[in-house]
Formats: sequence, C-alpha cells, structure tokens
Amino acid sequence: MAHARFLFWRLLVLIFLVSPLAASAGIIVHPGVEGRSISAANLRNIYTLRQTLWPNRQPIVIFVLPDDHPVHEAFAKEKLGLYPYRLRQTWDRLSFSGMASAPIEVRDENEMRARVRATPGAIGYTSKDTGYDGIKILRLE
Amino acid sequence: MTASRFSGWNSLLLSGLLAALPAWANDLAGPRYQIQGFAAQGLIGSTNNNFFGDSRDGVSTEFTEAGLHGTWQPLDALRLSGQVLYRRAGESDQDGLRLDYAQADWRFFQTEATQFGIKFGKVKLPYGLYNETRDVPFTRPGILLPQSVYVDNSRDLLLAAPGFFLHGASVQKYGATDFLLGWVRPDFNSESVEYVFLGNTRPGKLEGKGALGARLRWDLPTDTTLMVTYADAKAGYVPGNADPLAAGDVRYRNLLFTLQQRLDTLTLTAEYGEPRGKLSGFGAALPDSARTVQAFYLQGEWRFRPAWELMLRHDLFYRDKNDRNGRQFQAATGLPAHNMFARDWTLGLRWDATRNLMLRAEYHYVNGTGWLPGPDNPAFFSREQYWNMWLLQAAYRF
Repeated sequence: MAHARFLFWRLLVLIFLVSPLAASAGIIVHPGVEGRSISAANLRNIYTLRQTLWPNRQPIVIFVLPDDHPVHEAFAKEKLGLYPYRLRQTWDRLSFSGMASAPIEVRDENEMRARVRATPGAIGYTSKDTGYDGIKILRLE
Repeated sequence: MTASRFSGWNSLLLSGLLAALPAWANDLAGPRYQIQGFAAQGLIGSTNNNFFGDSRDGVSTEFTEAGLHGTWQPLDALRLSGQVLYRRAGESDQDGLRLDYAQADWRFFQTEATQFGIKFGKVKLPYGLYNETRDVPFTRPGILLPQSVYVDNSRDLLLAAPGFFLHGASVQKYGATDFLLGWVRPDFNSESVEYVFLGNTRPGKLEGKGALGARLRWDLPTDTTLMVTYADAKAGYVPGNADPLAAGDVRYRNLLFTLQQRLDTLTLTAEYGEPRGKLSGFGAALPDSARTVQAFYLQGEWRFRPAWELMLRHDLFYRDKNDRNGRQFQAATGLPAHNMFARDWTLGLRWDATRNLMLRAEYHYVNGTGWLPGPDNPAFFSREQYWNMWLLQAAYRF
C-alpha cells in the first residue's frame, strides 16, 4: 500500500515535470489532407461536429483520446478553448438525436497515430509536435 | 400501444440497421456505424403529492430509463439512425419498451462551411435545447427537465413523430447558424396528453392531424446560443361509447425562446415559452376555450470540479397567462386555484464518478400543482399546494 502511494506521488511529480510537453499538443492529419495549417475557428468547428468536410469536400474523420486523458484535456482546453465535458455534451446531443456521429475514441497516442495514418481524411492530436512517418502535422494559425 | 409503435417500416428500418452492422466492425479506417446506450434508475421521495409513482411519504422506484441507439452511414451523404427506449415513469408512463425514433437523413448539399439535408421517418422533434435527447440522462441539466417548458405530461406530443424536416447549417465569422423546418403527424393519443388538453381521461381518443415545426439556432463566437422554436399542431377528437363529448378539435401553438451563455465553467440558461391551446366543437360538456400558458425557467450550472456539477434553477409555470394565481379558475370551477400554476426551486448535484457512471441528487421545493402528473394524482381535491421532492439517479452508459 505504502509502495503504491509512493509510486502515485512519483507519477504525479513526473506528470508535473513533463506537463509543458503535454501542453503543446500537435494537430495531426492523414497525409492526403491538403494544406499546412488550420485556423482555431475551423479546428473548433471540426471538433464540435459543425464542419464535416475538408476544403476539397473529403469527409473529415475525427479521432479523440478518452475524456480524462491528460493529452485530451490539454488539447480541448488549449486548442479548442473548451472543457472536455462541454465537448462530450455537444457530441452526446448531436449523436443521440441522429444528427452526427461522435468522434472515434482511441485508447492511447499509439493507436491515435496508427488510425490517423490509416484513415483518409483523418484528424487527431498527439502530445508532441514531432513528425512521424505517414502523418502530417498541421500548424494552428 | 407498444405493439403499434413497433409495426410496419419502422421495425424494418431498425432491423436493417442492426443487420448491417458486423460488415463494418473491423474497419480500421473508422467505422461507418456507432452503437451506444444507457440505463438509469431513479429513486423519488416527496411530501403531499405523488410524482412518478407512490413517492408521497415514501420512496418510488418507478423511474427507469434505458436506451439503445444506433447510427449507420451507408453513404457519406446518408445517415440512418434510431433508438429503442425503455421507460417507466410511475402511472404516467407504463409503455415499457418502444421505438423512440427511426430516421433517415440525406445531406443533399454539402460544402466545407454549409450543408442542407432532409430527414424523414419517425423523426425527433426540434423543441428548445433539450427535447431531442430528453431521455438520455447525461444530456439533461438535471434528473428532471424544467417541467414548465418540457412538461413530462405532454412529452408524447413533443418526442418524435412520422414526418420530415428540411434542415441546414452554416459556419461563418459571426458564428454558426442552423435551422429545421418540417411537417409531422403528432401523437396526441396518450392518457397524459388527454389530461393536459381535455382536463381528464376521456372515453374517446385524440388523433393528431398534422403539425408544422420550425427551429432557428444561432451560436455566436461569444459562446452564446440564441434559439427560437415554433410549433403549430392540430388534433381531432374521436368520441367513445356514451361519450358526453362531441367530435371537437384541439389546436396547439407554441413559440419558445432560448438563451444560453457559457462562461468558463458556468452555464446560464433561460427559456421562455407561450404555448396556446384552443378547444372547439366538443359540445356543452366542454365549452370552447382558448388559453395561453406561460412557461419560463432560469438555470445556472457550475462545473466546480472536472467531474462535479452544481445546478440551481427557478422554474415558473402558469396554465393561464391571464389568471396566474388561479382565482378566476377556482371561482368558475370550484377546483383548487393551485392547479393553475407551479413555481419550482431546484437544486441539483451531478457526479461523473467514472467515464460510464453518473450519479445525481436533486431537491425540488414546489408551490403549486400545475404540472403535477395527473395519472399519479387522480384525486383533484387531495392534491396539495406546497410540496417537496427529492430524487436520486444512477445512470450508466456504454
């Protein structure tokens, strides 16, 4: 028990130390998506399910991490200016009324990268702004 | 009732929807379908009056909600969705399992910023902020919706109905706008709706003829939402055996205004509606009448912790705008004046204990019996003006 508690505190300290990294969540898209940057307003419209197509009319496929994932919390607050609970509320109201589908939830960042790489029109985010093979990073305007 | 709701093409649509699912199950590119659901159980206790079962001086367990929702996109422009709902709410709702809605939505025009579509089938009716998902506990601001605007007594009328809606949405610099405009055949045929319009359960039945519905919504960049909903519905009465009522007509019109402002962890919401009901041609036993209801609530929600939310609401309901305290009604009918209004203070607490489990507690202090469910309180004269109610609810989602 004492050991577990010690680990917990170690973890907390670790999260505190790496949080500046987690804060700079990067926006990633499938390489087929056009453009190099995205406006904050567009990003918010996409994640609130109002914008469903890319400028070339390709359907947007949205990926998210779980609501309580630190990277999701950072992305929601800093990039979208919304708390995770508000996003969930928007998705619930639109999906249960049959007007839209909620974003596809992935377990972790590895799955996020794999799914974005494999899905034409996909958008997602990761904790680091570093590049990966087969994934494009969009700059936030 | 239940059987009829499952009949015909509705069930065809739903079974087709479910049968098509496995084909997409392992698609890495993102599934074209989604299945989600919920189950919730409530406990209700009250003083002086009953709400959803025998809650007076006891505990009613007769508030259960469960739903299975599915949506499937066979084409980019076509979305099929439906929900099967189980609901029990005291004496007012004993229908059990039912098809809540089943609709097809075809987006015939889509660009990056604008889209137009038409949805048809048994469609969800747009009405205010919460109506389309009113049975999904997580989407409500409390265990109960504000009863002034979202009267559970006439919920059957507001839920879903066969018909169609044209809709459109656009995102611009000044914010996001969307509209819905359509025609449906509303469902007047339930005991509670009869109570609302005809004052009691009657030997015959009310049949919906047609209803026009429209909603305009504007979400400003300032996190403000403005909305106007309009509805105009007509129903005809089919008299039963030895019925004192003639084949009269009911007309119901409603104009509802919505304002919501979101400020960081605070959400302020107000909705104001003036539903008008008109009765004509029922004969001497029920003279022609026209009445304007007034419904208003002001609500604050505060997320003081990521998983905790506090809600405070003041909810006003007057069955006759020109007789708010019910004195004219009492003088004319001899029935208690408090049947004509209800003023409700509500305090609620929400805890999202895990990602799947939500627990809620709620307290109501009510002055008046204006929206008290008739079937739970059949004796007019034993209803009391001042009453309290507490509710607990556990809701699970998957």
